[in-house]
Amino acid sequence: MLTNALNGLVYGSLLFVLSSGLVLVYGLRRVVNFSHGALYMLGAYIGYSIALRYGFTAGVLAGGIALGLVGIVLDLLVFRNLSDRNPLVTVIVTFGVFLVLEDIVKSVWGTQNYTLDPPAALAGVVEIGGNPFPAYRLFIIGASFLMAMILVVWLKFGRTGLFVRAASVDPSVAAMCGVRTDLLGPAVVGLGAAFAGFSGIIAAPFLSLHPAMGSEILVLSFVVSVIGGLGSFVGAFVSAMLLGQMQAFGTVYMPELASLLPFLLMSFILIWRPQGLGGRSA
Amino acid sequence: MSRYTYPVALLLSITCATGALAQAEPLKIGVPTSQTGPYAALGEQVIRAIEFAAAEANAAGGVDGRKVEVKIGNDEGNPEVGRRAAEKLATEGHKILIGSISSAVGLALSTQLNRWDAIYVSVVNKTPKLTGDSCTPRTFRANHSDDMDIAIVAPWLAESETKKWAIIGADYVWGRGSGAAFKAAATKTGKSITTELYAPLGTADFAPYITQLRDSGAEGLWVALAGSEAINFAKQAKQFGLVDKMTVFGHNFVASSIIKAVGTDAVGFWGNVNYSASIKTPNNEKFVAAWRAKFNADPTEYEGEAYSGMQAIFEAAKKAKSAKASDIAKAFSGLTAETVYGPVTMRAADHQLEMPNYLGRVAEKDGKPVIQVVRSFDSKAATPPPSGECKM
Repeated sequence: MLTNALNGLVYGSLLFVLSSGLVLVYGLRRVVNFSHGALYMLGAYIGYSIALRYGFTAGVLAGGIALGLVGIVLDLLVFRNLSDRNPLVTVIVTFGVFLVLEDIVKSVWGTQNYTLDPPAALAGVVEIGGNPFPAYRLFIIGASFLMAMILVVWLKFGRTGLFVRAASVDPSVAAMCGVRTDLLGPAVVGLGAAFAGFSGIIAAPFLSLHPAMGSEILVLSFVVSVIGGLGSFVGAFVSAMLLGQMQAFGTVYMPELASLLPFLLMSFILIWRPQGLGGRSA
Repeated sequence: MSRYTYPVALLLSITCATGALAQAEPLKIGVPTSQTGPYAALGEQVIRAIEFAAAEANAAGGVDGRKVEVKIGNDEGNPEVGRRAAEKLATEGHKILIGSISSAVGLALSTQLNRWDAIYVSVVNKTPKLTGDSCTPRTFRANHSDDMDIAIVAPWLAESETKKWAIIGADYVWGRGSGAAFKAAATKTGKSITTELYAPLGTADFAPYITQLRDSGAEGLWVALAGSEAINFAKQAKQFGLVDKMTVFGHNFVASSIIKAVGTDAVGFWGNVNYSASIKTPNNEKFVAAWRAKFNADPTEYEGEAYSGMQAIFEAAKKAKSAKASDIAKAFSGLTAETVYGPVTMRAADHQLEMPNYLGRVAEKDGKPVIQVVRSFDSKAATPPPSGECKM
């Protein structure tokens, strides 16, 4: 029971960090970013290459920072021009970015699988309720919660966080009050991409690296954002945790339905509360 | 005028010579395989070996003077996409189809072969259905079926002291079939199965499954997962300490591409080895030497199997004296061909190639995992008789 709940927590927190990147970008730019899965994958591959040479910590930092830069470039070149376009256009363009990044990964790293060992300090197991549990998985929970806390504190109490919230509600009024909204865009998209990069490299020691990893996780992270309500952090948090637990307990008690459960929940939420758990009604 | 005579004559002779070569209809091979999707890494190996075989044949003057032309399609690991890719290849004249990875794709293709006037030669598909109830006169399997792998596992299992087994498989036709076949073999040798789990395709986090396997009290584990799922499972199971005390047999797991990614975490795993560069036949030694010269590496299992499939097709085309799919199909049935495995026969009753098979284990050498062939089984021991379900 306890191990199951922990398993769910691990996957849930990984999904949460990944989808908070989506939420950030949607909140400010109103762009549904389909390239997010590829950013996650790129973060994992860059982090992996650095981690092999300079150690795991360097790899994690590199994955986050490199993807932050990619995010800034993406915003200046693509998202900025998309913010008031037809949603269908943004879907097609960001999906195109996804395919391009996926091909870049394939031509640089090839199609074979790579695995990364967890750092030595986290390689062992911890006894929990009499059963061994990998220490690295506990680290994932800790790291995700830390990142979530930093994000919440920054948005709620930081001055720039206030600007981001203001610009998400109404960019033109925020600009009139003196907020440099043109600078906020690249910063927020960069941060969103960095979150994708972080989650990619943090996932690497327990999910192997391969060119399909981005599309595999993209679907689930969208389910998280839709259930939570696009643009809502609290919603994303609740739905990521819910999905993680569903995955963990579903495979034990309803193995035939386990892979369907996230989508059943999403359909149910869309009928009952179309704006999502934490979304404001339009 | 005279200074033009020589060049013109030369030009004429060249055109005539190439004209003569072009008269023999080329052997057109179509490869609907996984260039993307979960099996892309396997698809890459299959493509490499098929192109290598074609280039080698062309350098030696073609197959019976026929140039070998290869065209690649992408099945994305999906039966519907695979059917479309193969249809495109077949309508473009590439009617000798080979190289799909997923059994589900192989089965989807085999239903369409009459309509396309094509043949399909499996080099990776393992489902017994392909040479069982879904067999067709135009479908051939030049690789080992699940039943063949189980046939060599059964004697090993009978000697094994591990009594209680659990099964984890991929939730589609191959994984389910492999699990069921293992269960039958285990029950026959007096072992018990405590748990059977099937994870949906695309599962990344196996923690909930690993927890259940641990709680099942099994001492042995049968793993029927492929590609990135097999790798993720092995890594995660090791991190949970699951496999340290268990006897693990990975169906199609002990293969270079997987072992390389998993690393030393796979040491001790048992598995069927369907091809090995160490097979001692003159044909294989020649192939391995040529392969090393070109790629500076040993051919992997999938590369060896795909290459041997191409060898069989070439022999069938020679016997048929034709590049037409229907002629090759007739010649292929019952054909005995010399391949990297030595002489092998395409059994007429169900179109399963009768070939040797091997059992191996992952060992550690200089800090790296290596595959060691522990036991070899000849064609007779490795190929069970036709299931009787195939009605052509």
